[in-house]
Amino acid sequence: MELAKSAHLIKEAHAPSQPKLLFHPKSQSGLMGWLTTVDHKKIGFLYGFFALIFFIVGGFEALLIRTQLMVPNNTVLTAQQYNTMFTMHGTTMIFLAVMPLSAAFFNFIMPLQIGARDVAFPRLNAFSIWTFVAGAIILNIGWFGPVLEKMGIFGHNAPDAGWYGYSPLTSKTFSPGHAVDYWVMGLQLLGVASIAASLNFIVTIINMRAPGMTMMRLPVFTWMALITSFLIVLSFPFITIALVEVMMDRNFGTNFFEVSGGGMPILWQHLFWVFGHPEVYILILPAMGIISEILPTFSRKPLFGYPIVVFSGASIGFLGFSVWSHHMFTTGMGTVATAAFALATMAIAVPTGVKIFNWIGTLWGGHLMMRTPMMFALGFVWMFMIGGFSGVMHSAAPADAQQNDSYFVIAHFHYVLIGGSIFALLAGLHYWFPLMFGRKVSEFWGKLSFWIIFGGFNVTFFPMHFLGLNGMPRRTFTYDPNLGWNAANFIATMGAYVLGLGMFIYFAVLVYTFFKGEKVKKDYWDGRTLEWSLEVPPPEYNFRVIPTVHARDAWWYEKHHQEEIAQEQAKSAAAENAHGGIHMPFGSIWPFVASLGLLIGAVGITFFDADPSPGIHAKLGVTLIGGVVMLIGIYFWSLEGNEGYHLHLDKDGHPIEDDPHAKH
Amino acid sequence: MFTSLTKFSQWSRSAFAVATLPLLSGCDLNFWRMEGHQSTITVEGVVAREQLQLFYITCWVSLVIFVLVGGVLAYATLKFRARSAADEHAEPPPQGHGNPLIELGLIGASVLALVVIAVPTMQGIWSTYDVPEAEKKDALQITCTGNQWWFKFEYPSELAPINNAGAKAPLITANELIIPAGRAVRVNLRTVDVIHSFWLPKLAGKVDMIPNRANHIYIRADHPGYYWGQCAEYCGDSHAVMRFRVIALDQKEYAEWLEQQSQLARTLAPRPTDTTQAKAQFASLRSFKQNETGVTDKFEINPLESWRAKQSPEKNEDAALIATGRQLFSTKACLACHNIRGHDAPGITGPDLTHIGSRTTIAGGLLENNSEQLRRWIHNPGAVKPGNKMSLAYARIGQDGKPIDGIKLTGDEEVALVAYLESLK
Repeated sequence: MELAKSAHLIKEAHAPSQPKLLFHPKSQSGLMGWLTTVDHKKIGFLYGFFALIFFIVGGFEALLIRTQLMVPNNTVLTAQQYNTMFTMHGTTMIFLAVMPLSAAFFNFIMPLQIGARDVAFPRLNAFSIWTFVAGAIILNIGWFGPVLEKMGIFGHNAPDAGWYGYSPLTSKTFSPGHAVDYWVMGLQLLGVASIAASLNFIVTIINMRAPGMTMMRLPVFTWMALITSFLIVLSFPFITIALVEVMMDRNFGTNFFEVSGGGMPILWQHLFWVFGHPEVYILILPAMGIISEILPTFSRKPLFGYPIVVFSGASIGFLGFSVWSHHMFTTGMGTVATAAFALATMAIAVPTGVKIFNWIGTLWGGHLMMRTPMMFALGFVWMFMIGGFSGVMHSAAPADAQQNDSYFVIAHFHYVLIGGSIFALLAGLHYWFPLMFGRKVSEFWGKLSFWIIFGGFNVTFFPMHFLGLNGMPRRTFTYDPNLGWNAANFIATMGAYVLGLGMFIYFAVLVYTFFKGEKVKKDYWDGRTLEWSLEVPPPEYNFRVIPTVHARDAWWYEKHHQEEIAQEQAKSAAAENAHGGIHMPFGSIWPFVASLGLLIGAVGITFFDADPSPGIHAKLGVTLIGGVVMLIGIYFWSLEGNEGYHLHLDKDGHPIEDDPHAKH
Repeated sequence: MFTSLTKFSQWSRSAFAVATLPLLSGCDLNFWRMEGHQSTITVEGVVAREQLQLFYITCWVSLVIFVLVGGVLAYATLKFRARSAADEHAEPPPQGHGNPLIELGLIGASVLALVVIAVPTMQGIWSTYDVPEAEKKDALQITCTGNQWWFKFEYPSELAPINNAGAKAPLITANELIIPAGRAVRVNLRTVDVIHSFWLPKLAGKVDMIPNRANHIYIRADHPGYYWGQCAEYCGDSHAVMRFRVIALDQKEYAEWLEQQSQLARTLAPRPTDTTQAKAQFASLRSFKQNETGVTDKFEINPLESWRAKQSPEKNEDAALIATGRQLFSTKACLACHNIRGHDAPGITGPDLTHIGSRTTIAGGLLENNSEQLRRWIHNPGAVKPGNKMSLAYARIGQDGKPIDGIKLTGDEEVALVAYLESLK
């Protein structure tokens, strides 16, 4: 006898009902598609997109700086405008250009290198990108200062207290108005974004590796992503605390750095550089990772001394936390502290030098293919060597007393950050472009842009060594013509224009290629790591079958053991199909809503004042609304659950059946 | 591709033309000799010399390693470069993973190279930190206080009368520090507002002036000379124009200078007379371009001689005009901030002006001290040094567009004030 099914069982036979609010966004394209995406590749693309926009903004600021310094006593910018430019140039390039561009590669490439279908927390990833955008917006509100003033909000200008915001210049006494508040809240949000993203990367790399991908088989780029993520997670709390203290001093009358209340401005410097120095390695380690991928590919042999390269990267990360006070050799720390930090700084030269030796060892005996990524990578090694040597010169503390805060330092860190980080990121863009978009950048235009950038860069920054040794201090909007700095400054400015032209060509060609470039097949460079095993551009599910890794250069091994791999993959595919197919996460709007709430709340806090009376209700109201929006975002984010759907593929890799309601 | 190459050669020709413009325009391209007023290479002090020697050591070690490593890198790039498409698609080279012995050897070599730098660094840290023990007793103590945007110099051991009643206090000057050559000087560094940094490249590297922190710097000039210094820590709007000078004198001349500075301010006439008799030679006020250079070539030829020339009173001083200026100094409230010992000007927040006429520069080492520049400065200080406190005492238009009351000076008043200030030798 068959019993009638009870009502609740009948209901479950249909699609499980969903509260209206918890809809799962289906659109893959259009604005909604981008706002709700949790695909690591799309998020990586967004990081890259915003990073390039801010790279242009920061570059424009740099050209204005150089234009002002072209001739002595120039009047292109006023003192205040100039100070704003160098503050925003530094902040923009570090936090809004180089870091997110590295994050773009972490997002896009790292999961592909370890054989994963996405990062560990796809929605947290979406939260990171949108919080990053929120921070970038707050940091740049000040450019619209005059507009804000017309709206009745006392706006003031963009931040002008230096990217390092030394106290007490950031106090209400010396920086009235809200410029410093934009900077404080902007960096806070960027910190939230960076820490969330880094936790995600760490969990992904530890937990989501394909079978057989042991830690000592990880591609070096992924290793550097892991170390960089740890550096971010460990160093950002310092600046977070320091920024909270500045905010409290400015708005609520605390005395962390307030001299009149017995506060210690030197404390800010320690807190800032405990963050700031690891930050330097946050900028350069991903670059070293990219170089360690490109050199083996274009030499057609494995990286020389893989374990040593990995361990030297890790020891750079460790030592990076013990050298912060070498930014403070002139603050009168006393002999013993100065000596200790000088020695620690010299020690860090060893693992850095080791990396350079190993890169040369990689080239040795190879078949070097001189393509654009290889040109940029070799340019990186040369420029990074120069920047590294001037870095060792700074570690000799007494000599640094002359070099600190002079143009010699500017030359040094631009060799490390442009010749180093930027060259590597430009190399990476050319290298992975065929993978990301299935199109190939023209070799002619790529090499042309390389030589113009390389030339312009050196003409800009090499003379600055001489300027610094000849006594020109940093952060000066003008100089007198009788100090012997005229020619070097003029040459540097001409070089900067050439560098700007080179960058323009580079990116113009990239944009052209994105729309119209020559289409290529997969594994364009005859690569060595797993990302090259994918069709181009990679499908949303990345790997049709999760690969099993047998060797360090996993894809190289696969290419040379095709039969064995084919059998193995057939087996894994069958197993996965039996398990329900490829599991994909739903998109979600809630991470975006949470970030939006953070943005609104942070805007409210930004306009707080020590004197609370004018407009306090509006400010408090905005802050609270922001908090509520954020909580709504987080609430529904947790409520909608980590559901997803399954994909089944036909032989060409196209999904044959969407099963959007299957729970997992 | 071919047309692109033709275009490229055209572009490179025009790029070359732009790059050679400075050559054609006769621009001085000897910048690598680094012989400027603030050179850290052509040094004239004990501390700076030690710092320079350490720099040379690091420089040579770096250069040798750079040539070695760069040589190998260049060789590898050229030697193993694929020369043809066939080369690229040849059988892949042996897939070796490295050589631990080579690695260890290179690590050892790097450590050795660093030791070569580390030993003199340690020596330098201790020897440049403070005045050597043997010279401590004889060392001159100075207190330098950073202000937005000028330097105050105080001589704690030199007492000078501060009024006609004979009360005494340490001698104070501003923006120009006079020291005895060949003698150790310990400058104690303080600040009243934000962080500044005391940088005197030819004599010593910089040390910061940090609130709530007692820093010091050790300097010793080899011989008499005139030295340029500048604030080296970003300190707000006018950081770039916060400069100072140090003049090192031989023992005798230094003693004479001390004797002269210890005097109360000069007084020429007992009572003011009619202001309409202002002399034309003081009246020059031309319009200055923004940021226009405030020093003349004549001054540059021998700065130390230029300094000496400022020490004696000028000929043809107009006593009546000077007396008018002195009265204006009081009625226009200049004395609220500036101190002029013996002239009942008690201010302490601005630079001490008791002997301003004997200094070579004004406005924090920015402008040459002559009547034209003095008048430029008091006419509109904000145009010379954006954001400075003196400009805030002037009548002006506020940020909100409303006028703010303050000091107003007519042309005649400016002339009289300039004459007065120049008389203060």
